[in-house]
Amino acid sequence: MSKTDTNTHNKGHHLPPKNVPFNEITKDLIATTVTGSKKIKQISILLSILSIIGIIALIVKYFADHDDSTKWGYVAALISFLLSVGGGAPMVGIAPVLAKANWVRPVTRISAIFSLTGVSTLILIIPLMMMLPPLMVDGVRRRSIWFEGPIYSPHVWDYVALMGLVLTGLALFYSAALPDFAAMREHSSGWRKNLGKTLSRGWIGTDSQWRTLRMRIGMFGTFYFLILIFVNFLFATDFAMSMVPGWRDAIFPMYHAITSLQGGVAIVVASLWIIRKYFKLEKYIHVDQFWSLSRLLFALTLLWIYFFYSAFIVFWYGRSANDIAWIELLITGPMMWVFLTGAFFIWIAPWWWLIWNKVRRSVNGPIIGAILILIGLFLDRLRLFVTAWSVPTESIHEKYLKIIPELVLPNYLDILIIIGGISLAFLPVLLISRVIPVLSIWEVQQFNLLAKPIKYMKTHGVLVAKPD
Amino acid sequence: MQQRRDLNQVHTNKVLLNGQLNVPKWWAPTVALLGIMVLIGFTAIGIMVNKGLGVTGLSRPVYWGLFITTFVFWVGISHAGIMISAILRLTQAEWRRPVTRAAELLTVFSLLTALFFPLMHAGRPWRIIYYIIPYDFSRGIYPNIRSPLIWDPVAISTYLTGSTLFLYVALIPDLGNLRDRTTGWKNALYTILALGWRGNPRQWQMQTIGGILLSALMLPIFVSVHSIVSWDFAIIPSVEGWHSTIFAPYFVIGAVHSGVSAVVTMMALMRWLWKWDDFIRPEHFDALARLLIVVATAWLGFTFLELIFAVYGLDAPELALREMQIFHWPWNLLFIIFLFTGYIIPVGMWLFKSVRSNIALMFWSSILVNIGMWLERYLIIVPGLARKQPFVFTWEAYRPSGLEWLILVWSFAWVTFLMLLFSRFFPLVPLFEQKESQVFTDDVKIGRAKVPAIIREID
Amino acid sequence: MTTAEFGKQNWGMVVDIDKCTGCQACVLACQSENNIPLNTQNRFERARAISWIRVERYWEGDFPDVHARFIPILCQQCENAPCEPVCPVYATYHNSEGLNIQVYNRCVGTRYCANGCPFTVRFFNYWEPVWPDSLRNHLNPDVTVRSRGIMEKCSFCIQRIRRGVRTANKENRGIVDGEIQTACSQACPTSALVFGDLNDKESKVSKLKNDDRNYKLLPHLNLEQNVTYLAKVDPEKKIESHSEEAISHE
Repeated sequence: MSKTDTNTHNKGHHLPPKNVPFNEITKDLIATTVTGSKKIKQISILLSILSIIGIIALIVKYFADHDDSTKWGYVAALISFLLSVGGGAPMVGIAPVLAKANWVRPVTRISAIFSLTGVSTLILIIPLMMMLPPLMVDGVRRRSIWFEGPIYSPHVWDYVALMGLVLTGLALFYSAALPDFAAMREHSSGWRKNLGKTLSRGWIGTDSQWRTLRMRIGMFGTFYFLILIFVNFLFATDFAMSMVPGWRDAIFPMYHAITSLQGGVAIVVASLWIIRKYFKLEKYIHVDQFWSLSRLLFALTLLWIYFFYSAFIVFWYGRSANDIAWIELLITGPMMWVFLTGAFFIWIAPWWWLIWNKVRRSVNGPIIGAILILIGLFLDRLRLFVTAWSVPTESIHEKYLKIIPELVLPNYLDILIIIGGISLAFLPVLLISRVIPVLSIWEVQQFNLLAKPIKYMKTHGVLVAKPD
Repeated sequence: MQQRRDLNQVHTNKVLLNGQLNVPKWWAPTVALLGIMVLIGFTAIGIMVNKGLGVTGLSRPVYWGLFITTFVFWVGISHAGIMISAILRLTQAEWRRPVTRAAELLTVFSLLTALFFPLMHAGRPWRIIYYIIPYDFSRGIYPNIRSPLIWDPVAISTYLTGSTLFLYVALIPDLGNLRDRTTGWKNALYTILALGWRGNPRQWQMQTIGGILLSALMLPIFVSVHSIVSWDFAIIPSVEGWHSTIFAPYFVIGAVHSGVSAVVTMMALMRWLWKWDDFIRPEHFDALARLLIVVATAWLGFTFLELIFAVYGLDAPELALREMQIFHWPWNLLFIIFLFTGYIIPVGMWLFKSVRSNIALMFWSSILVNIGMWLERYLIIVPGLARKQPFVFTWEAYRPSGLEWLILVWSFAWVTFLMLLFSRFFPLVPLFEQKESQVFTDDVKIGRAKVPAIIREID
Repeated sequence: MTTAEFGKQNWGMVVDIDKCTGCQACVLACQSENNIPLNTQNRFERARAISWIRVERYWEGDFPDVHARFIPILCQQCENAPCEPVCPVYATYHNSEGLNIQVYNRCVGTRYCANGCPFTVRFFNYWEPVWPDSLRNHLNPDVTVRSRGIMEKCSFCIQRIRRGVRTANKENRGIVDGEIQTACSQACPTSALVFGDLNDKESKVSKLKNDDRNYKLLPHLNLEQNVTYLAKVDPEKKIESHSEEAISHE
């Protein structure tokens, strides 16, 4: 018993990642922009076709259902899902960097790339905004966070905020990519070399250039976080809460934001696993990254139940007509099974899966948790947004919801839009891997530079430098 | 940033144990003075229990007032310990080390103080033990577990037990150290408390595992305690301003804000009183202040959400309450003070590096935070009660009596008194953590620069 | 008629706002029936007066067209009472007769129930109750005198209910409608307060509960009160919901 124990222990005993020479890092990572081009081309074409079908379906739906907002729940849920996942992902590369965590350095690029999914959101949301009930219904203001603001406020500000989020994400991505474009300029060939020449904007790596770069990352990172919270706040209130009379739930925007982070970390874990496998980056993506990310994922899973329960107990215990309507609409009502399955996938299953250190500390463990969470997140969005949109506009002035609406099922257009929207979101993410290495070259180099494997007493350790 | 500084272990022992082995001159008179204040406070509580709650300023609509506010305040302060020791331990922040003990101590003593308030606040406190410990089995009368007032003692006593264990586990190596340096009855005391600590590898391993396990186990308790306290209010739909879903995280983050600020206050005092300039250094204040900026801003965000969604409902009574809370005398004054002391002034100050590493300024700004946080609880609890009722005309009928203020002052004297008493027998800065941090830090040369570095374990 | 038994009734009250003249007879009757301590000037000033039933007065309209409106407020005996689940010691609970019971012996005085009550009809004894010697013999022997430190509230004169049911049971008959009266309903000169068994479909209170004018206070709280109100009939105005009016009143 003890013998096998020691054996497994020795097997699971992780030696610190070996340092790789800088030239090799540059060569390996730049090579990823070329590897598997044929396959990626095929996938891209498929995604493009699906995206076009999705957009056509959206236009058809707009003309077919533009007089009935109750049929738009699935589109709202899809946008919320894409916004959550794509908007949350760059945070993975921001928060730990601001806290000076070293493990996150190889992950920053892949997480920032996901701000490109915003392109899809920005297109999809246009018809949905047309469906929002006006702020002034029958001459009376409806409940909204815009109070006495002009009646076009939600449309304008939501779009501006969303655009701000995408632009800040791209700015973050681009400003952190400068040194890599310079590396492409030096070490790549063909159009990539020329592109690197144009986009690196004369980067030669002087002290002041590095200082500016760090400052920009810090600034755009902080800014991105603030806009992300703001966008979640706007989207959660304008597109869900204010659709339902009497849904007054101060934690809901934060719930939306937390789940957004959860989805963001999950998608980063999933994509990290994929690129590690298909781009053969085992040398650069270590168990360490998965370990730290799955710890985050686990913590966020706990936060899901905390934020959910904080709202739930207040409604459940309160028992006023308003409270009962909330529970019936969103939990026990038309979408009860979706809610239960969603809770299982977003909370119970990943929780019991990721609670084990052995699972967290592996390459294949976290991805299962991440996929569970992504499914759960999608179901959770369905139960929130489909039910919220299914409330007829006529009841918008009521003090509380008196009649719980029937379950709305998706029609073929909704399904096409969902498939197309998701394809459209991931298409640019896929294509960008042809332009720039998915792992940031200079961040990987820095990761190597700052963490030095050492032998400490009788065991192994890492000496992590913490520069200001 | 942690600047590396070589301090030899003999020096560390000598200086950090001077609370116990080399008692400063100011100690005895200060403790005596605080003791008198504590006595006065207990007398006041005695009078209140003897005469009845008529001696307070409470009235019919305002059934809960200053005592419940202070209860929530002290429970909030108690979140310092776990925030500093457990969360920062799990996230491996090295700068936490000298502060851990003081923070845990604050947790334990503030919880002990917090417990007094709901007890003496009850109409018949001598009967209250019955619902905390349901001994009356023979008649089949059990406490009502649906009541948040049952969840409260359960959560708080779990938290208290856990924190005490946590404090004790971290104290054992230092107790061994003290045992070896004392004689007589003190030696006997430390011998018993040190549980045979000799500092062999196995003992260290157990001690470390114990600490990490307790950290992880305490985290959910840490979150649940203040959430449950917040549900005392949030589940009540009939009081305007209380029935808000955001209360749980809002209270927790506010508690962290006030708790960590209280730790800053304490650190400054420790540095001044025991002259631990070598151990509690400006960079520790700097790190805490950075943490506080984040926490305070998150807390302000929650405050904003709470307010905006109160108004969002467009319910007449809720709007009226908010109008009173923010614009009507005297609440408007309290609200302004709360906003300025709770966030604007301190965070505005902390943005500057020169303030963050200035101990005196940090001391005063952290005190401001706690004034603001006390007012925050007051502004949450009282206005809703004072202004809720659609069918009653006795509104705004609460002014705390002198006795209530006295008991509020007592609670501060009591916590300080307990702290000082503790410092007479046990070190306030953990010696072994201090030494460990010396071992775990190193410098690395990167190019021409010398960068401070931390040694991390791999397995 | 079957024999009256304990626990088979559902006691309720209907208050006809149209008939209420605001004379306060109910308040007085309640004070003397239920051994409520004297409300001195000091107690009123400190907002600690105890009055299980009170008549709230609202002014309506602008001068010179001003109307006084009265509404008697007493414990609404909610089926879905917010005061009940929050009590840590089960000092307040709901019994099978639709009554919201306050058990004085169990009460430790956390006052949580009072915070939960949207009508503020729960009262705390801040001081030990005292009566002048001249009044000591007036105390009702059927009603406990509450000590300091506990909550009290309208009990629907449970001592009268118990006595009435017991008498009917002894005489082997059912309860006659109107036989059991609370002190307030008995004292009301205009019969604005009607008390009775809601399970008895023929009782006056049941019939009034089905009246078109019948409404509950604060309906959005979903309290399922056993005390309901009959709206005021104003010949000049349409019937309006009094609860809404009261909410918007400042």
